[in-house]
Amino acid sequence: MSEAVADVLRKLTVVFTEFEGRLEQTPLIRKLTRGRFELADYQAFLVQLRQQVKDGALWMSRAASNIDEAHMELRSTLMRHAVTEHRDFRLLEADYVATGGDVNLIRSGEKNIGSEALSAWMFHEASGPNPFGLLGAMWIIEGLGSIKAQEWGRKVKETLALPDEAVRFLLYHGENDAEHIEEFKAMLAMVLPDESVARRIVKTAQVTARLYALQIEEIVA
Amino acid sequence: MQRLAQAYITGVGAFLPGAPVTNDRIEDHLGRIAGRDSLFGKKALRWNGVESRHYSMAPDGGVSHTNAQMCALALSQALERAGLGVGDLGMLAAATTQGDYFVPGHAAAVHAELRAPPLEIASFQSVCGSSLMAAKAAWNSVRTGEHRVAAACAGEFSSRFFRPSFYEGTTLVDEKGRLRPEADFLRFTLSDGAGAIAIEDKPRPGALKIDFIDIVSLANRFDPCMWAGAAIETRADMMTSWAHVGPRAAHHAGAIALLQDFELLKRVIRAWIGVYLQKVDEGRIVPSEIDHCLVHYSAKSLRAEIVSLLEDTAGMVPEAKWFSVLREKGNVGSASIWLMLEGLVQSGRIKSGEKLLCVVPESGRALVGFMVLEAV
Repeated sequence: MSEAVADVLRKLTVVFTEFEGRLEQTPLIRKLTRGRFELADYQAFLVQLRQQVKDGALWMSRAASNIDEAHMELRSTLMRHAVTEHRDFRLLEADYVATGGDVNLIRSGEKNIGSEALSAWMFHEASGPNPFGLLGAMWIIEGLGSIKAQEWGRKVKETLALPDEAVRFLLYHGENDAEHIEEFKAMLAMVLPDESVARRIVKTAQVTARLYALQIEEIVA
Repeated sequence: MQRLAQAYITGVGAFLPGAPVTNDRIEDHLGRIAGRDSLFGKKALRWNGVESRHYSMAPDGGVSHTNAQMCALALSQALERAGLGVGDLGMLAAATTQGDYFVPGHAAAVHAELRAPPLEIASFQSVCGSSLMAAKAAWNSVRTGEHRVAAACAGEFSSRFFRPSFYEGTTLVDEKGRLRPEADFLRFTLSDGAGAIAIEDKPRPGALKIDFIDIVSLANRFDPCMWAGAAIETRADMMTSWAHVGPRAAHHAGAIALLQDFELLKRVIRAWIGVYLQKVDEGRIVPSEIDHCLVHYSAKSLRAEIVSLLEDTAGMVPEAKWFSVLREKGNVGSASIWLMLEGLVQSGRIKSGEKLLCVVPESGRALVGFMVLEAV
């Protein structure tokens, strides 16, 4: 593996661990880790997650459409990702309904301040030519899927005594950690070495992490 | 600003009480909760990889050495190996997780046991990381020119707290007599002993120059991960800590025991790795320059994914360069890093010019310390 890829991966790991520490301090996650999570907290969380997951495949598609012919393989990868994920928000709706929630409420749920900022940022980044910085955003969001989702899902299920059907997105959506990193390394190798791209990837990860945490901070049931 | 002087570790000492105790004899020493063998113990031993340890407390409850006595013995050896006597010592920094008394500090007890003349002392109470806190104070006292000779010690007498009476009659034991894993894990993990270093303003043959000691606390992020003094469920609320409810109620609530939250530990491990990789990224730690890596954590207990992540991020020191005594001497909390350093120094494997990286993670409330040494 090239030095450039290792350097970016190291910086991204630092960003992720700081992000995880910030999440840990949010009111919502404090309630979860301290065993004080309530059904309303979980439902409010699902509402925000749905809007953001729905946008995920959309910004990824937009990013793919802005990738030039010199990076066709990366374009293919992003398109595959978008296809895999673009219906995932339905799973969140089903989870919400299984908790006793009304599907119309989650579908019409309004993004909170953090979700608005996160969504706007993603589409903004995806709209420029060769938006490689978004690899940093993928690192953060997929890292949540592979590292945090199951941990949160288990704790939610245990605390609220929910059936599996109500926690499917968190429990089963998470990807295999090792595979996820291998694929991500391959994507980095498609755009590196390039100093300005490397900087942009890290910066995009930092902004995405901050705005994602803002979304969680703003969830108050 | 005036430049600080260099300072060197010129002697390393260790003390382990009594004969080694093998895995099958642990509960003969500590006692059995409700008279039954622990079901969780074997699992804990697989995780921590410890095969042998030492206890200051005999099966009949007799104590061979106090924490302070063990520290004094380790200090005497460190000073002797440096060619120094207690009279040369200007400053003593002592570390422990729990001293022999609540009050006063551990350093006072160690000073008394050491029978040294009047000197400056400093007490550091934390968990494993207290070792480096004390070392940094001692190092700085020499670097600033306040003292020519300083020493740091760290000692643990954990087995005292692992006796059945600390758990029986509390909510930590269920109706079938099973101790909660949060408590049982540590009974099978921690043991007793002490380690010490002597620090001087001039090198001697075999001395180790201290390049830096960096300590980073992440207590702002996490609730307590390894603690005593609060019940498991309410530990984040310090208003409920043991002294507020009184000793009897606190004991009943399971607050008078050393406890570990495993779920949180997984997150804390990732945070430690984040801090480490940041040091690598800043060029503070250069993995390729490290000849000996002493980590107070066994590489075996790091999940394979974490090792491969360190490799992917050019942060891994090859496992062949790791040195540890955890398996044979036990996990002695704050003393462990000095036991490892002592083992490496005594092995004669350190060559002039080589660099040593010591890593001391403390799950307590998420802290990690790093020390880089260079062989003179």
